Amino acid sequence: MNPASPRSLLLTVLTRTGPLLALILLVAIVSALSPDFRKTENFFNIANQMSFVGIVAIGMTWVIILGGIDLSVGSMVALLGGLGIYAMNAVAERSGSPAWGIAAGAAIMLLGGPILGAVNGMVVIWGRVAPFIVTVATMAAFRSIIMYNAEGSEIRSAVSSFADLGSGGFKLEFLHSSRGLPILLGFPTLFFLGAALVGELLLKKTVLGRRVYATGDNPIAARYAGVPVNRVTMIVYALSGLTCGLSALLNSSRLNSIASSSTGQMYELDAIAAVVIGGTSMTGGKGSVLGTVVGVLLLGVISNMLTMLGIPNYIQGLVKGCIIIGAVLIQRTQQR
Amino acid sequence: MLKLASIVVGLSLLAANHSLALVEPAAPAPEAAQPAKAKKPKIGVSVPAADHGWTAGIGYWAKKAMELHPECDWVYATASGPEKQIADVEDMMTKGIDALVILATESAPLTPTAKRIHDQGILIVNVDRGFINQEDEPAIADIFLEGDNKAFGCKSAQFVAEKMKKENRTNLVILTGIPCTVDTDRVTAAKEVFAQYPEIKILDTQAAHWNRQKGLEVMQTLLTKHKKIDAVWAQDDDILLGAMQAIKEAGREQEMFIVGGAGMKDVVKMVMENHPMVPANITYPPSMIATGIHMAASAMRDGKKAEVLQFMPKHLMMDVELVTPQNAKQYYFPDSIY
Repeated sequence: MNPASPRSLLLTVLTRTGPLLALILLVAIVSALSPDFRKTENFFNIANQMSFVGIVAIGMTWVIILGGIDLSVGSMVALLGGLGIYAMNAVAERSGSPAWGIAAGAAIMLLGGPILGAVNGMVVIWGRVAPFIVTVATMAAFRSIIMYNAEGSEIRSAVSSFADLGSGGFKLEFLHSSRGLPILLGFPTLFFLGAALVGELLLKKTVLGRRVYATGDNPIAARYAGVPVNRVTMIVYALSGLTCGLSALLNSSRLNSIASSSTGQMYELDAIAAVVIGGTSMTGGKGSVLGTVVGVLLLGVISNMLTMLGIPNYIQGLVKGCIIIGAVLIQRTQQR
Repeated sequence: MLKLASIVVGLSLLAANHSLALVEPAAPAPEAAQPAKAKKPKIGVSVPAADHGWTAGIGYWAKKAMELHPECDWVYATASGPEKQIADVEDMMTKGIDALVILATESAPLTPTAKRIHDQGILIVNVDRGFINQEDEPAIADIFLEGDNKAFGCKSAQFVAEKMKKENRTNLVILTGIPCTVDTDRVTAAKEVFAQYPEIKILDTQAAHWNRQKGLEVMQTLLTKHKKIDAVWAQDDDILLGAMQAIKEAGREQEMFIVGGAGMKDVVKMVMENHPMVPANITYPPSMIATGIHMAASAMRDGKKAEVLQFMPKHLMMDVELVTPQNAKQYYFPDSIY
């Protein structure tokens, strides 16, 4: 195994680019079929629309590399977003300052996330319950708490400036949409890409990251090798909660509300799909955040494409399913 | 903990009592022979869980109506799907309900259960989604109360089509809900109307799942896809709010108007205040569950069910109303959650 040999170098490149290859292929095909799809602003839209589930998928990557799973993410986004808006509205009203309200709401979401994640982690570690069961249970429980409080309805922000975070962005003066307006690089996109970069660096360049891979690869061996498996597990579930908090913050700001029943629904499945498309192994020990980013974008391109090509509603699921399987197959052949 | 345990024991005792009475209806227990006034009728209310704004409204109005009738005992349950709803209704039978108000999650799967219950002499008030009746058998529901989904599609589409014609608008986008019979009824009726206006061009029909986020995303894509959109028929107010945000962000408010539906208070308010993008709305009031509950209570409370049923309507179709700036005030309920 000489790392410098051309053959292994080629293999590494292909493994790394497997999901990317699928994405490029799909974008090329759809671009050829639909001139509207090719519009610059469309790609920015896709990235921005996928940011909310994308941020969650970063945490999910960590959890899956660890050998776990977190099905509670969607419910967590709804719960954190809802509680945050309650706090924001209350503080803004008492203090008369929207800024304090937003700070309080953001604090609840970003601090509450790791706490809820740690709850998952605790039951997994000390209850010795399979992560699948723990997070199925908390998925039901988190959703139920916020639906009970809101009686199933929407929780609305009373602070109008709060919406700027989710809907705003930087105007790219050098890029113009087909209507001649400067294109907006949305804050959610920036947070998504930023979080992905941090997530990838932490995973690849730190002791914690190496411990996550080791635990996911073989938890018993990792324990013998002196990895504090419990602590690592706790941190990873808390990080997953943190990404839910960030997603909740951007999502609630984007829609200026949280729908207690529907916000974050199916996030867990989209996130898991993105992680797997991105080349992370469901059995743990292998994978990368950058792959997940590609997986997220691929899912975004698929759902955008279904509308752009005018594919009838009822058949969209079939098309989506086939492309996902195709993407995973491309990625797998590259890995061999 | 003790309290919880005693509640559980109490409930199971209660349930046991009633199921015994059901097994042997011929020999009424002595308590049942007491004057009818002493025994409160027990009525079950089974509705879909809140999966979007409208169903949340159903929950709100159901609770409100139950509070108005303390003379009945209420058993309330929300179900996320037909299986859960069947289980809910069976639990209610175990608890010994005398009547059932039900908004079915799905018509077909609930029909056999409803029939079984009805055969045991339980009064059934069916709201919005009907059971499937056999032609040679009596109807399963004693009272069937529904909103007119075809008129919902038809009336709102009529308004959109006329306005488009008057203002020389041609390009229309249709946003639909969660794929189901209610959605199909509305969309089919609307498309029949639009078909009568040859100058109207339907650019796209896309599902937005009665959901604000989906409305936003789908509309954003459609705005990229189509250079000129004159009108959006969105069918539902959650979708409308999402789509409106996408239109605003694209800076294309001047270009199109949008008509939703179901009478969400925020949207009715926009109509009332002459919002340039939202000229009208159409009601499909979730308060219809309250009508059903009220009817069940009034049929049961005096112990004269048979007599009351003689003159109660068997089938009520509630018309839907077009909300315009002129009449919006009467459809605006600021305290409602929907």
